[in-house]
Amino acid sequence: MIRRRPQLVWLLLPYVLFVAALPFVNRVPLLVLWLLGATLVTPVAVGLARRADLKRGERG
Amino acid sequence: MSPAAVAVSVFAAFMVLTVVLGLLAVRRQQGGGLAAWSVGGRSLGPVFIWVLMAGEGYTSFSYLGAAGWGYNYGAPVLYVVAYMSCGYAVGYVVGPMLWGYARKHGLVALSDTAAHRYRRPWVGAAVAVLATVFLLPYIQLQITGMGIVVSTISYGTIGQNLAYFLAFAVTTGFVVVSGLRGSAWVSVLKDALVVLTLAFLFVYVPLHYFGGFGDFFGRLVDEKGAWLKLPGNGGAESGYGIGWFASTTVLNSLTVVIFPTTVAGYLGARDADTLRRNAVWLPAYNVLLFIPMVLGTAALFVVPGLVGAESNLALFKLVTDSLPAWAVGLVGVAAALSSIVPMAVFMLVIGTMWGRSVLSLAPRLRSREKGLSQLVVVVAGVLALLMTYTVPNTLVRLSLISYEGMAQLLPLVLLGLVWRRMTLVGGACGLAVGVALVCGLVFTGHDPLWGVNAGLLALVVNLAVSVLVSLYGPPERADERADEDVLALEEFTEAAVGAGRG
Repeated sequence: MIRRRPQLVWLLLPYVLFVAALPFVNRVPLLVLWLLGATLVTPVAVGLARRADLKRGERG
Repeated sequence: MSPAAVAVSVFAAFMVLTVVLGLLAVRRQQGGGLAAWSVGGRSLGPVFIWVLMAGEGYTSFSYLGAAGWGYNYGAPVLYVVAYMSCGYAVGYVVGPMLWGYARKHGLVALSDTAAHRYRRPWVGAAVAVLATVFLLPYIQLQITGMGIVVSTISYGTIGQNLAYFLAFAVTTGFVVVSGLRGSAWVSVLKDALVVLTLAFLFVYVPLHYFGGFGDFFGRLVDEKGAWLKLPGNGGAESGYGIGWFASTTVLNSLTVVIFPTTVAGYLGARDADTLRRNAVWLPAYNVLLFIPMVLGTAALFVVPGLVGAESNLALFKLVTDSLPAWAVGLVGVAAALSSIVPMAVFMLVIGTMWGRSVLSLAPRLRSREKGLSQLVVVVAGVLALLMTYTVPNTLVRLSLISYEGMAQLLPLVLLGLVWRRMTLVGGACGLAVGVALVCGLVFTGHDPLWGVNAGLLALVVNLAVSVLVSLYGPPERADERADEDVLALEEFTEAAVGAGRG
């Protein structure tokens, strides 16, 4: 899927923030603040995927 | 007038408004077949789809269970925010894909999607039955949640057992009459009340009890630090460490996109781009989920000593302790609607799946598809109500069981829609192994196992069996259909990016 639509790599960013980064941020009070930040970044990540999708659609 | 009478009057007035909204939605509905009732005639625009799908993510589980877990454990409850956010990112791809496939082939639910993919009606029936089994705990969760709310805001004058029945009766009547469009209309009222009451409580509780945000968060960090990192207050024995948090986030984020209620939201959309636009903005709604968790930890200082299922009342103890009766009623309405809307959609999709995929196996019943679907809604509601009385469970536990079971459908349904070589025998073998494994682990108390969500372990085995049997097992009987008719890839449907723009 990502090989055919490389712009979708943006959709992996929430997994990086919420899952892969966990061992490095599991401290008080960093963890809760990190998860709040990741929640706010997710719409941006999906928005970037959509913008890249639309650009690719116009070109294709 | 006593406080209980005031709060219950406010609550009752809003319940009447809810039913009126549902009836109004039906009056504006064009046509009256199963598709009109179950997926809103595929005509819902961006705003209705947004509130409907956001509403499914914000249930009484979020109001009560999140505060309860915030009270008992702390940080582990934030898995809800994590999986919802990741799930919306996955939904950016899966939502339009399922929408395009369903529109092209005239499908209305997950079950007939599976039946179409494998060209066998009984596969749809099997998916419908299995999904119902795993959705009933979620309906039970909503009945339990609303029962707690009604009983609490009446200051105990309405007993919990009666409150459970009221929750069942209001929701069943509402969904039979109004269908998906009515749920979308009521979602607008619900979302407005939820945002309003949570924003108010987030400001009011720290000011009222602690003198300000700084004092509250200062005390929280100094005195309750264990609640603010994994594995939370339960310590290592609770099993809710980093491994559990990460594995549950991955499992639930993949499962939420094939949850039948999410699929109903997808299929109700007017076009695929509506779903992509919503996938961008829906994660922002998750910020609200932090508030019940924070209020749950605030309750640690105000009402210490709540144990077990009592902790589900953490948020409402603060509300009834500090607010006037009319405000208690208003918060109760927001929490009750957080039960009614998702519960209505859950019952709706169970009815739809049975009407389309199970009962329609008998040819003489096909002409009464919608009426039978509505009858199934009532039966599902009664079953969930009986479960509430006979096998009560904590809200979070019920949610986890639902997700871990539903996840086992992922290879058969979702992988099958993008991989032509997936065979029915392969998918069915994987599903059987996955369901057996997850039931074995959950009901023998081995969830989490080795610090990992049991559902994810079962899904990995399920996936391996599905792929291996598909590649090396008995070949599929000849299926001469072209890929365009079997697979759900966007380029085969109207869902491709820009497809709807001239």
